[in-house]
Amino acid sequence: MSLTDFTRLALKHCEKAGADEAEAFVQSQQTIEVVLERAEIQSERIKTQRGIGIRIIKDKKLGFVFSSTLSRSTIEEACRNAQSLANVSIPNPDWVSLPTPAKLPKSPSGIYDEETANMGGNEVLKLAMRAYDEAKGYDKRVDIDDGKFSIFLNEVAISNSHGVEAEEKTTLLQGYIICVAKEYGEISSMAFEYDVARSLKEFSPEKIGRLSAEKALASLKPKAVKSFVGKVILDSDPAATVLIQPIISSVNADNAQRGRSLWAGKRGEEVASKRLTITDDGLFPKGIGSSSFDFEGVPHQKTPVITGGKLEGFLHNSFTANKEDKKSTGNAHRDGYNMLPSIFVSNLVVAAGKKKLEDIISGVDKGIVVRRFSGNVRLESGEFSGIAKQASYVEKGEIKYPLKETMISGNAFQAIKNIIEIGSETHPTFLKAYVPPILIDKVNIVSK
Amino acid sequence: MITDLLKGSLKKSRGYCELRYHKRDTFTVSVKDGKIDILNSGIIEGACARVLVNGSWGFSSTTMLEKGKINKILKDADSLGKASKPKKKRAVKLASVKPRVDKYETPMKIDPRKRGREELVSLVIDVDKDVRGFSKNIVSDTVTFNIVDDELAFLSSEDAEISQRIVRCFGNVMVIAREKGNIASAYESIGAQSGLEVLEKTPLGNAGITAAERASKLVSAEVAPAGLFHVILENRIVGLLAHEAVGHCSEADLVYGGSFLADKIGKGVASEKVTLVDDGRYPSGFGMMKYDDEGVPTQKTVIIEKGICRSFLHSRETAQHFGVSPTGNARAWNFEFDPIIRMRNTYIETGDYSLEELAENIKEGFFLKGGLGGQADFNGEFMFGTQEAIKIKNGKFAESLRGVTISGNAFEVLKNVDAIGKDYVMRVGMCGKEQINYVGMGGASLRTKMLMGGTK
Repeated sequence: MSLTDFTRLALKHCEKAGADEAEAFVQSQQTIEVVLERAEIQSERIKTQRGIGIRIIKDKKLGFVFSSTLSRSTIEEACRNAQSLANVSIPNPDWVSLPTPAKLPKSPSGIYDEETANMGGNEVLKLAMRAYDEAKGYDKRVDIDDGKFSIFLNEVAISNSHGVEAEEKTTLLQGYIICVAKEYGEISSMAFEYDVARSLKEFSPEKIGRLSAEKALASLKPKAVKSFVGKVILDSDPAATVLIQPIISSVNADNAQRGRSLWAGKRGEEVASKRLTITDDGLFPKGIGSSSFDFEGVPHQKTPVITGGKLEGFLHNSFTANKEDKKSTGNAHRDGYNMLPSIFVSNLVVAAGKKKLEDIISGVDKGIVVRRFSGNVRLESGEFSGIAKQASYVEKGEIKYPLKETMISGNAFQAIKNIIEIGSETHPTFLKAYVPPILIDKVNIVSK
Repeated sequence: MITDLLKGSLKKSRGYCELRYHKRDTFTVSVKDGKIDILNSGIIEGACARVLVNGSWGFSSTTMLEKGKINKILKDADSLGKASKPKKKRAVKLASVKPRVDKYETPMKIDPRKRGREELVSLVIDVDKDVRGFSKNIVSDTVTFNIVDDELAFLSSEDAEISQRIVRCFGNVMVIAREKGNIASAYESIGAQSGLEVLEKTPLGNAGITAAERASKLVSAEVAPAGLFHVILENRIVGLLAHEAVGHCSEADLVYGGSFLADKIGKGVASEKVTLVDDGRYPSGFGMMKYDDEGVPTQKTVIIEKGICRSFLHSRETAQHFGVSPTGNARAWNFEFDPIIRMRNTYIETGDYSLEELAENIKEGFFLKGGLGGQADFNGEFMFGTQEAIKIKNGKFAESLRGVTISGNAFEVLKNVDAIGKDYVMRVGMCGKEQINYVGMGGASLRTKMLMGGTK
């Protein structure tokens, strides 16, 4: 049976069980992963998983059931269970409807790679070894603490009782390495580097190994700096964690509707520096979050989020869109078949600036560069505080020395108003956001 | 029966081999702003094979529980082990354990399987109502309650055959308050490895009111200042400290990698006030299991006894390497993961000070409350978030400020502990170490010094 055969079968049983509306989501995933730990291969795994999630609506009451077993009998039982859950629920007056069919765009280019799909355990092992050898070979002082290389072959199918029907296949490669450098009994802080891509050709384990080793070495012999308030250059990864995360939370229409977003009701207003432009693009070529439809089967699209510092709008799934009598922006998201759709970005693309990271650094009179952030970010209020990892002190446009136990803190919503420069090189991050390095001002830099 | 199916396949294996079966039955009800947001139930089940070929592990899992697929995961695991063998420096050897044939089930007064779901739905609806009604500045909330009912089977080629049923009931409340352009959130959780009686012992409604009170109060509060301060860490944060900052350094795989505790057995690593334990048999502990996922009986492991480092946490593999007995710390999140060394229920033993006594000799400092997520490097450096910082001035509690991230070296922090409170509590937690897992974290409020990262 194809995945769509299972979703159709589920809809039939839901109708029999007396549902007003129903939706079935089937996912099949093959994962191969290699885990490195303590400079060695720790484990290799081949994982096969499939499952179905069924959403039923009866008199505006919602029930959701999932199962990892795809068979005629389990699907029939799951549909009956979903219906009985809906029965013990209470009606949601905000419920309008599941999405209705719309013409789907062509599959975005480069989201499925035959070569990746055909990889076996040996091939993934080789990927990990390439990164490993590069890091170890880079410098004798470098040790690999841990790492992980994974490939995914993912297939999803969605059908709903209004006639939405969609099916797509994607591939993804992902890898990270954490290196430490050791010299005269001193251990550097943990240097993290990763990459993610849709196809084998776009994925470079060597780059991961080299950059991670470089970062570890660069953090040896750290010095403390006196606390000051000033400029911080956030590399892509910490920029995503510190600045982009609260933005993602604030443009989530559900958060806005519930008063959980400081930007609720601020469409059209200036919320950030003119330098900041952000687009959510579910059709971004080779994008790590790209596909022709979202996880409710609604077509993916390009949605402006912030243009020149001005808030353009919010990201919706069908539920939040219906509440405002709007069209969904195709941002329904699920972490798996066992989850109800929520809202998340597809690919959040931060428009690149003109300067390379080195050129941004050379323009800073006094400040620090942060390559990793280990701390807390309060998504609603934007408050952040945490340890600046692989951070270096910058003076008169030059990196002077690595920093010892330094914390940075501030407020992301203030910080994005104080953006001085946005870098030219954009990197994909774990948040499905493509982010360049960002230079902000007026950050608290705190040392013991 | 699934175990018969697994047994049949196991017979064909050569070398050491484990088959695990895991069925996770989940129920979740979540109410957001007075409306049911999630009402879910479902089952994820699957099996995995872990095979040791000439000292090299291979692992494979599937959700398709048919004879052919089980044989395939055994074959895949075997060929992965063989393929990676030339790349591995060390040959894995396992400490020997007596293969057990046993059954275990979480002791429960109210087995959630025997109760209807309606009353849980209405309980969560009621808590949400109370939370929203707490104050006018509360604009949004989420109240969630979960039941995770695990059935586990462990079979090995050494003839171990263990089945366990582990039931966890837990809930949490998230509250958002807004006032004059300010926004604040607060979070509280309850839970245990137990039946639904946990709701009588630690009512979800109380957690809701604590969170509502905090968000409502902090919305107009300033953020706590930065710098090195004398602090009292609330009991709920002490559990985090025990787990994040210290516990991880005692995990033998990290010890092997050169963690802070690597050469410290028998040496002083903390104030003599500190005794730190990881207990796999802690009654109702969130990380409690009778056997770990290598079929090893769990035990109470004393990591630090009155300031002296005594033991590490082991799997069969690391126990063999270190020449000690396995401690039963090999745990896997589900059938999609091989077991790695994880904590179970980690706590610092209680003391006898009241909160007022702890504050008494602090001239200027903070009482830090409400733990948020944390991280730690294996050199003992850690950071975690706090929700609230109550000012202490001349030994008295004063106004509440917004909490900030705290950081430092765990062992410095523990050396500076000069008093431990009597308000001991064991809480629930989730820990991520390549794979996540349920853990218990416990402790009583204590007094120490800490670097706070504020914004002023």
